[in-house]
Amino acid sequence: MWKKYLIIIILFYLFALLQNSFFVHFALFGASPNLVFALFFLLLFFERGGIYKVIFLSAIAGIFLDLFSDYYLGVSVLLLSLLAFLFKKLLALLRNDEEGAQFVYYLPLFIIFLFAYNALFKLFIYFFDASKGLMFLSEETIPYLIYSSLVAALLFYVYKKFFAKKTDNRQLRLFNR
Amino acid sequence: MKGVKDFSINKKSNGWLKILIGAVVLSLFLFVVNIFVLPIKNSFYTISSPIEKTFWTAGESSSGFLASLLSAGSFSEENQNLKIENQKLLSQVASLQSILQGNQAQSDVSATCQNSGFKLVMAGVIGLDEDDVLSINKGSANGLSEGMPVISQQGVLFGKISKVYKNFSKVMLVSNKNSIVNVKVSPFGGSPEGGQQSFTPEIDGVVKGSGGLGAYLDLIPISSEINPQDVLVTSTIEKSFPKDLLVARIIQKEKNDQKPFQKAQISLFFDIKAVDNLFVVTNYKR
Repeated sequence: MWKKYLIIIILFYLFALLQNSFFVHFALFGASPNLVFALFFLLLFFERGGIYKVIFLSAIAGIFLDLFSDYYLGVSVLLLSLLAFLFKKLLALLRNDEEGAQFVYYLPLFIIFLFAYNALFKLFIYFFDASKGLMFLSEETIPYLIYSSLVAALLFYVYKKFFAKKTDNRQLRLFNR
Repeated sequence: MKGVKDFSINKKSNGWLKILIGAVVLSLFLFVVNIFVLPIKNSFYTISSPIEKTFWTAGESSSGFLASLLSAGSFSEENQNLKIENQKLLSQVASLQSILQGNQAQSDVSATCQNSGFKLVMAGVIGLDEDDVLSINKGSANGLSEGMPVISQQGVLFGKISKVYKNFSKVMLVSNKNSIVNVKVSPFGGSPEGGQQSFTPEIDGVVKGSGGLGAYLDLIPISSEINPQDVLVTSTIEKSFPKDLLVARIIQKEKNDQKPFQKAQISLFFDIKAVDNLFVVTNYKR
């Protein structure tokens, strides 16, 4: 069991490093994809588990996002935890047995939650330092969302092809062997 | 029936208890972590630096390779060399301009500002975050402190140090949304009509970061004449940076006679994708 969590931590770490170094050189209209959030969302979408798993994923993803940001440690952890619980509630309502339908709500939800995360993050920072200004939409917001969702879509299919394992109710699992 | 009701209440309260315990544990953990944020981040960057630098170099060469494939030739490298050469020439133009305006004393200071009199610390670039904040591999142990200007070898302004750790620093780029730099428009910085020497009064404005490695020119008086291709350099009224550092080139002006100031779209000189090392001016004081 611990191996699974270790792999998740290493994956988040690598994704954070790639996001802040490698993908900077492949920016589209000034925007780089948020790989960490894409991985976080993917695991949240496919992984089963209780409250502790949700907190674990939010904490790891949030800490790596915060370590590379210029702000307080923990802002992303709190926001991701909040969004993760909302997402899990929403997913419970949306989940159905049609396998093909998963992607239909995966991508729109990804875009909505990524936008929400960024908006909440800006709001949080503005709350502590009003001099930073508050602007939810900027020139690079759309390219950022599109670029990140492309990566998220790619991760979705990679996960489905290599790691997904069909279960009784057709939910998918990671490392459940 | 009563038993069933009690059970559901217990189950519900258990769920809330779990959430409460989770929230308390998380809050405590974050509180403790933030007390030691500086050493934690410094250690993290120290461990990550070699891998991050490798990824940075890999990204740089891959994007260069991709660009050369897309341009079906060696245009990328040639363009890069021309850019560097052009920046050197523009830097010299900015310096010569002061001399031409007849103020020898000022030109002496200007020459100093052309980096010769500055104590520079070379730092390697290791990363960039979403907010246009760059990570470099030198910190307080190397004599760096907050507010120090960061430039390239060609005298192009990148930004200033916004946060310092023991072995690492964060550089707020000129394109950061919170960045404002006082600039002057270089009168004959390669404008289409710029072949002739004209001694027009200095035009001052500000370059404001817009995020996504972009910025725009603002607060240029409506009566001032600016042209595409004009060069923007740091002005004498700028407090954070030495004067005559290259900042940007005007792409398109946006003039509205009903407004007291005009704006312009600009292209920043710094190219984050092509830079490996930067220089921090450690002894600039205003």
